[in-house]
Amino acid sequence: MVKINEDIIKAGLEVLNSHKDSKLITHLNSCVHCGLCAKTCLYYLTSNDKRFIPARKVELVSAIYRRYFTFIGKTMPGLTNARKLDDDIIAEMIDLLYGACVMCGRCVKHCSIGVDIEYVVRKGREMLAKMGYVPESLQSTVKAALETGNNMAISYEDFTDTIEWMEEELQDDCDDPDARIPLNEHGKNVLYTLNPREPKFFPLSISAMAKIFYAAKESWTLSTYMYDVTNYAYFSSHPAEAKTIAQRIYDETDKLKAKRLVLAECGHGVRANRWEAPNYIEKEFPFDVITSVEIIAEYIKEGRIKPNKEIITEKTTLHDPCNLVRNAGVIDDQRYILKNCVKDFVEMVPYGTDNFCCGGGGGQLTMSEYNDRRLSIAEIKAEQIRKTGASIVVSPCHNCIDQLSQINVTYKLNVKIKTLAEIVADTLLVENMLNNNK
Amino acid sequence: MPKIEIEDKVLEVDGNGFMTNPEIWDEEIANLIAKYDGITELTDQHWAVINVIRKNYEEKGMAPMIRQICKATGLKLRQIYELFPLGPARGACRVAGLPKPDGCV
Repeated sequence: MVKINEDIIKAGLEVLNSHKDSKLITHLNSCVHCGLCAKTCLYYLTSNDKRFIPARKVELVSAIYRRYFTFIGKTMPGLTNARKLDDDIIAEMIDLLYGACVMCGRCVKHCSIGVDIEYVVRKGREMLAKMGYVPESLQSTVKAALETGNNMAISYEDFTDTIEWMEEELQDDCDDPDARIPLNEHGKNVLYTLNPREPKFFPLSISAMAKIFYAAKESWTLSTYMYDVTNYAYFSSHPAEAKTIAQRIYDETDKLKAKRLVLAECGHGVRANRWEAPNYIEKEFPFDVITSVEIIAEYIKEGRIKPNKEIITEKTTLHDPCNLVRNAGVIDDQRYILKNCVKDFVEMVPYGTDNFCCGGGGGQLTMSEYNDRRLSIAEIKAEQIRKTGASIVVSPCHNCIDQLSQINVTYKLNVKIKTLAEIVADTLLVENMLNNNK
Repeated sequence: MPKIEIEDKVLEVDGNGFMTNPEIWDEEIANLIAKYDGITELTDQHWAVINVIRKNYEEKGMAPMIRQICKATGLKLRQIYELFPLGPARGACRVAGLPKPDGCV
């Protein structure tokens, strides 16, 4: 770790000294230390380690704020537990804000006075990012996105080759040699996006979503230049880097003149692109930004696709991605879809806006140094799944899917983990689609 | 530094169990990691996948697309998921001694 110096301190403190951000100052001054947040946090619940209590994470940032920006903190820091920004507190901040927070926001919902704890954590991360202390493991994914246009550094040739391959899958699956995955087409209703792990390692969710678009007779396209739905700079909390990534998807939608930008199954991608991006790029979107979950629900409601409920008979449960559900308000559509697609749907307890994170949020999947913590906090999710008795777990988030797949092995759950599109696509029968498309 | 210990042999890895020094990878290490994942024996099909991944890593410094693995081995997508229950990234690439790929894996 680079030792702290005056320039680094200045860069960090600037985040707390922004007059634009009255929200931050309010929330840094509001915690009453009631401790209700403790039992909402996966890290504290699974370890009983007091350092992990969300209020303690807020305290790290507010102690620095008091030391530099309040009269008593400046003159008599000991009286208000104000702390200097030094190497010790930086090490603590890295460990607790990056390494022990999934940014799930569950503590925020349970806070007695409504402190946006997750926002304070993000601002703490932003301080670290401005000071150059983003963990290398996380920064490597941000860097790949900045340098290559997608977070897995997939080349144009490799991408188009994979899409052609999935187009063949689609044609087989729909029994129609004319079924297509359109690329870079202008003036379509929908510009669809992907999580790069789909083309790289798990491409069947691409042909699944293409099958849904095909069945709904949607006018859609993918872009070969900008398809990455993720924005890992949201996790590192580096605003300039987050802006660069957010601007690209805006520009591409604008260039292709698509009416709707449809975000793939990716929790933080939805949060970052739909809710944070207008702040990053400081302008509103002139086109609609919706999620694939909402568009699939729309197709079913309008009768554009007709799922057959008799195909998937195994007991199926749903994992709610925090950034899609609690933090972005898409709550009912995925349930509506599953109730129309599977015979035996069961909820986890708790679910919806009170659901527990899978343990892989906040960029944790990329940070190998905190792997043991990530898998031990997942004990709660494993138990939730086990108690449902379900043999299929659906989650509309590729990041959650990866964590759930590891939970499946680590906690020997023996379940199948599926994306929502894969479930829906499996329930669309060829004969129904042929009638629809002729 | 975390370690994988199996059959009295010790291997230095990152927290995710990916090798931190991929250049010392050899067949014995592949067998070691595979056993750790519960794959009792690496078959010819496993090795076909591992060799494609290894070759791509040595030439391009990263894991190949699953498309290339299928093309070069003639295996179907689903067969690869079956061969490596932890998937192409956390399963196959780890056994092939690669460092952890970026992104949501």
